[in-house]
Amino acid sequence: MFALSWRNIWRQRTRSIAAVIAVALAVLFAVIYFGLVGAVVTGLQSNLTESLGHLQVHVRGYRETREFREALIRIAAVAQRRLSAAVPAADVVPVLEVPALLSGEDRARGVLLAGLAQPAAIRERFADRYLAAGRLPVGDRAEEIALGGALARTLQVSLGGTVYAYAPGTDGLGAAAYTVVGLLHLPDPIVDARYAQLSLAGAQELAAPDAVSRFELHLPQSAAASGEAVLAPLRRDLARAMGAAFEVETWREVNPSLSALERIIRPWVMTFIAFFFVLAGLLVVNTIYLSLVERIREFGIITALGAGRGRVIRMVLLEGILLCVAGAAVGMTLGLLVVGSLAKGFSYPGELAEMQAQFGIPPVLYASIQPADIVITLVFVFATGILAALWPAWVASRLEPVEAMRFIP
Amino acid sequence: MEPILRVKSLKKIYRLDSVETEALRGVDLEILPLDFLAIAGPSGSGKSTLLHLLGGLDRPTDGEVWFTGQRIDRLDRNQLADLRLWNIGYVFQAYNLIPVLTALENAAFVLELRGVGRAQREKVALEALEHLGVAELARRRPNQLSGGQQQRVAVARALAAEPKVILADEPTANLDSKTGLALIAHMQHLNREHGITFVFSTHDPRLLEQVQRIVHLVDGQVATG
Repeated sequence: MFALSWRNIWRQRTRSIAAVIAVALAVLFAVIYFGLVGAVVTGLQSNLTESLGHLQVHVRGYRETREFREALIRIAAVAQRRLSAAVPAADVVPVLEVPALLSGEDRARGVLLAGLAQPAAIRERFADRYLAAGRLPVGDRAEEIALGGALARTLQVSLGGTVYAYAPGTDGLGAAAYTVVGLLHLPDPIVDARYAQLSLAGAQELAAPDAVSRFELHLPQSAAASGEAVLAPLRRDLARAMGAAFEVETWREVNPSLSALERIIRPWVMTFIAFFFVLAGLLVVNTIYLSLVERIREFGIITALGAGRGRVIRMVLLEGILLCVAGAAVGMTLGLLVVGSLAKGFSYPGELAEMQAQFGIPPVLYASIQPADIVITLVFVFATGILAALWPAWVASRLEPVEAMRFIP
Repeated sequence: MEPILRVKSLKKIYRLDSVETEALRGVDLEILPLDFLAIAGPSGSGKSTLLHLLGGLDRPTDGEVWFTGQRIDRLDRNQLADLRLWNIGYVFQAYNLIPVLTALENAAFVLELRGVGRAQREKVALEALEHLGVAELARRRPNQLSGGQQQRVAVARALAAEPKVILADEPTANLDSKTGLALIAHMQHLNREHGITFVFSTHDPRLLEQVQRIVHLVDGQVATG
């Protein structure tokens, strides 16, 4: 039956080739789409885990509290030792975020001062990506600060200038003067206008001696490290080690909007892909149906010789599937070649690149396709083959042998 | 002895638009196992229609068709297809080979429908082609065969399956004298040695001379037989 179906689909070569090309294009687009989505999602994940860590530890209930002091982890050094012991493979970054008023000579803005103590490698990657001029504040120099570029313009200060921070109602000095040593270029313009970075020591001196707002745990960067399979058990172990006073969250929980995006993006892409396959399927229906009309006599013969309805249906379905599988073989090969080439790294041109930066997507993306994406594409291929051939198959199975054998096309 | 095929008061009316054509008008006939029987009659007498109804290819307008004690004119499509597949072989007047299959694959087609393995069905089909003198054409497709060669492949297809009954519509019509006689001899051999019942519709005097029984149809009714 396989040989019969295969030879039948090539009887009208041009028509079948058109159907095969349509399916091949649908598969090609599907594979490239999945590859590009993979690139964006992976880029987003790596950007976020790079800047916020794979896991974060906060005081329990920190999201609900409005009081700065209540969200602090006191005696941070002890907590940091406990964390390092619990996850020796991770870099632990203590962060103290202080809402403050930052003022230049004439202007002032409400900002978020972030005091960080980053390991050298993370600090270098951050500088490579976001430092526009100068340098980042050095750990033991409490008087240094780096400003978002838009913030610096608003305050009318430049490198070497002085800004004044006011953090009233905190446990530290509450006010201090800083020298601008670096200017940042942060992709999100809102953050760029409200963000300033200083050393952890500087932030603690200003607002909360020996305390931090959170700890970030940075695992060695890999696709697996961002996955729930790695993070879920780590999160559980950390929660146990830190006790009930602390809350441990994965990067997904810290950024619920990304999780939502991840949930939306796949159905969205699959809707597009389904649309491609519907178009290709229409061509396959046309091919199979015309082929059926041309072969009504033969179906009469086959039925007369003893083929039941089920066998006739299977025969026509097989023709639809074979057309689609032939298209899938071509489309999949081309698609994987394109994705393989984009996997070496690519950038979107001009304004698209700026737009993607605003959403936290890195400038260079690496296309990637998961085995599940290939399985989904193949499911689409088989579904198209079966659905496109279903109606012609049903028609063929209803033919009466004698009438069909007398049929003149 | 119980008939292998029996029809009772068989009527068939074809309707095309508002025109009715009465092809069979109450045919009664019994065909016994091992019969080697010809249905003869002029064109339009209903020979082909009777063969179609005997083999469950078509349904009568009225009357009954029985196969080995089972009434078959009331069976559904799949039951009829099964009956044809396992019990009845056909040789059609217009050859009715499948164009994309080779002569060998055509001859083996019914066996393939029955689920016989490739090696076995090709062996049996090749033997049938040999008996009909067309084994050397086994790899050719129908469009590479003459009318006579196609007819022999069509006969080989029916013979290879060794059904209980073979219904043949003018099986020797396109064969030369020597091949026609060889085919008749081969069918007689299958009739005697393998117990296959043969029913022909034919005008061929060579065949009519060899059959055990002739049923004459005139205007859709049995005249003699």
